[in-house]
Amino acid sequence: MSSETETTEDGIVREIGHDEFDPVGTLALILIYFVIIGGLWAFMYFVEFLGNGPTVV
Amino acid sequence: MEVFANEYPDEAWVVRAALGSAFVALAIGGLMGLIQTLHRTGFYDSLISNADYYTVLTLHGVAMVLLFTIFFLVGFFQWAITDSLGRKSEDIRITKLWYGMMVLGSAMSAVTILGGFVDSGSLSGVEADVLYTFYAPLEAHPLYYMGLAVFIIGTWIAGFDWFRSWWAWKKENPDERMPLRTFMVLTTMLMWYLASLGVAISVVFFLIPWSLGIFDSVNSLLTRTLFWFFGHPVVYFWLMPVYMMWYVIMPKLAGGRLFSDPLARIVFVLFLVLSVPTGIHHQYVDPGIAEGFKFLAMTNTMFLLLPSLLTAFTVVASIEHGARQRGGEGYFGWLTALPWGKPAFTGMTLAGLMFAAAGFSGMINAGMSINYLVHNTLWVVGHFHMTVGTAVALSIMAATYWFLPKITGREIFSRRLGLAQVLLWFIGMVLMGNAMHRAGLAGVPRRTADPTYDQVIYDGAYGAIGELRFQIALGGVLLSLSLVLFFAHLVLSSFDIGERAAATPDSIPAPLSGPEQAPKVLDNIRLWTSIAVVLILITYILPLASIVTDGGGWLGDSYGVIVAEYVLPAVSSTIDIFVGVVA
Ligand code: HEM
Ligand SMILES: [Cu+2]
Repeated sequence: MSSETETTEDGIVREIGHDEFDPVGTLALILIYFVIIGGLWAFMYFVEFLGNGPTVV
Repeated sequence: MEVFANEYPDEAWVVRAALGSAFVALAIGGLMGLIQTLHRTGFYDSLISNADYYTVLTLHGVAMVLLFTIFFLVGFFQWAITDSLGRKSEDIRITKLWYGMMVLGSAMSAVTILGGFVDSGSLSGVEADVLYTFYAPLEAHPLYYMGLAVFIIGTWIAGFDWFRSWWAWKKENPDERMPLRTFMVLTTMLMWYLASLGVAISVVFFLIPWSLGIFDSVNSLLTRTLFWFFGHPVVYFWLMPVYMMWYVIMPKLAGGRLFSDPLARIVFVLFLVLSVPTGIHHQYVDPGIAEGFKFLAMTNTMFLLLPSLLTAFTVVASIEHGARQRGGEGYFGWLTALPWGKPAFTGMTLAGLMFAAAGFSGMINAGMSINYLVHNTLWVVGHFHMTVGTAVALSIMAATYWFLPKITGREIFSRRLGLAQVLLWFIGMVLMGNAMHRAGLAGVPRRTADPTYDQVIYDGAYGAIGELRFQIALGGVLLSLSLVLFFAHLVLSSFDIGERAAATPDSIPAPLSGPEQAPKVLDNIRLWTSIAVVLILITYILPLASIVTDGGGWLGDSYGVIVAEYVLPAVSSTIDIFVGVVA
């Protein structure tokens, strides 16, 4: 381990240009995030509205 | 090309000084944080009295979110401007002047806050236990407000300094596109000018004269609304430099290129346009502001999710590009090809991950009706320790591992130590942040030295309250340990020891989709600023007018609007006439 900033250390094995790059991994991660957020949103209903009696709506 | 520190020694000096000030504030704030967690959970509450808790809390809030974040920002932005335009400061004396003013202002405010610990002697009347939100009816020593004013004017001059560099560059390069980092700095500063106007008016026209005894009272709701006019957009002032790190540094560390320069510009334009006209979402439960105005603020807030979602996409895609260039494959396999050994990369990724989680509690806060369930509870504290306390603070600490060699010319001490530090922060915050959210749901209030009451038994949705207290205390201790590692690292890096090599020059790779793809109108910052102003007028003119007319005039009544409603109208019209004479 020497320098944080040396370019030789970047480990790049191939150049991928704009047209060859298809960010499917990003799509997969973002879909997972949306599923989690949606699930939490539904969960909130149970935790707050059904769990704690009357509340201000 | 040379390392920044050697190419621009004067500018690098200011950057180092600003970072130094930021880290001093972080150290002080961290110590206060530790005291708070242990005190309010009951694990160690004999160090300070319950009354002094609010002095500690004020110091923690001011040191963390006003001083630490903003000092780091000005240092980082100075680097961004100098490096991306490739030119020295137009007049280094001005650069040093604004830094000096910020230090002076901080010192003035800090003295008054520290005065809160002293109950006798010459400092006994000097105190500022008003928390970092400092609106009336809480009142501080005039020096506290004056210090804040000097600090803010310092940041305004800094913005002017950076605009000057840009104007000079533009003259010499009339046909070139504004560099991305310059674009980010200038849009952020324009947002800041609009936002800080609210707090400047509140401090200069109301709080200072009031604390000097020139006015007997001020309209509390007015100072509160003016604070939140600034108090929401200030979170973007913390966040936008961090977005710059994520857009500019992370792709580089991952071995890739920024996915899209135009998208990055759009995100900053959206922040400029939408940041300010949302502040009323902090006042959903305030009496004296009509529901309709609150609804408008909520709508703008929901639109503000857009730039953060765009950022999630752009940044993750840029990192994925790096991973694929490093040989990564598959839908998820590319994640293993990322440079997890670099503390700067790992730290910023963890910070981003925490931010994604905090996005959920943010959506809860933003909803007008659901907000009632969490308002002023520990939930909110959990939320902002995951956003500003981690997404921002951890990104800053992590980025420092990359940034320090540029501005000192020396490598950092040890990657492994850096990795341990960022990981410890993340774990500590998972514990503290999560437990705070849950405690808030159970009804535990924020800003409370001793949140136990005879008649109240907290009823957790699941899990016992004792377990939550333990997690909050343990998380706080881990966070403090992480800070100790961070500071030890800074000290060790400044000696000639460790796995060091001289820092090597470094450049930011060109984006995959460059600025030539971005429509020219994006750089028309005058247009975007005007739209921002129009939106601010639409959202604020009417509520402010009704706060002044219904709340007992510009100076209201120091016991708040509720009381003011019962005060003789004659009194308020006399005050109006008085203001007419003064102004
Ligand atoms: C060692 C790490 C930290 C610990 C242990 C800690 C602990 C705490 C605790 C327990 C509170 C709640 C006090 C109450 O409501 O009664 C608090 C409030 C707060 N913290 Fe932290 N914190 C830490 C780091 C940070 C960081 C890094 C930031 C931001 C950059 C931050 C910003 C704030 C703010 C703005 C408040 C609210 C102050 C107020 O209500 O006036 N904290 N902190
Ligand atoms: Cu807000």
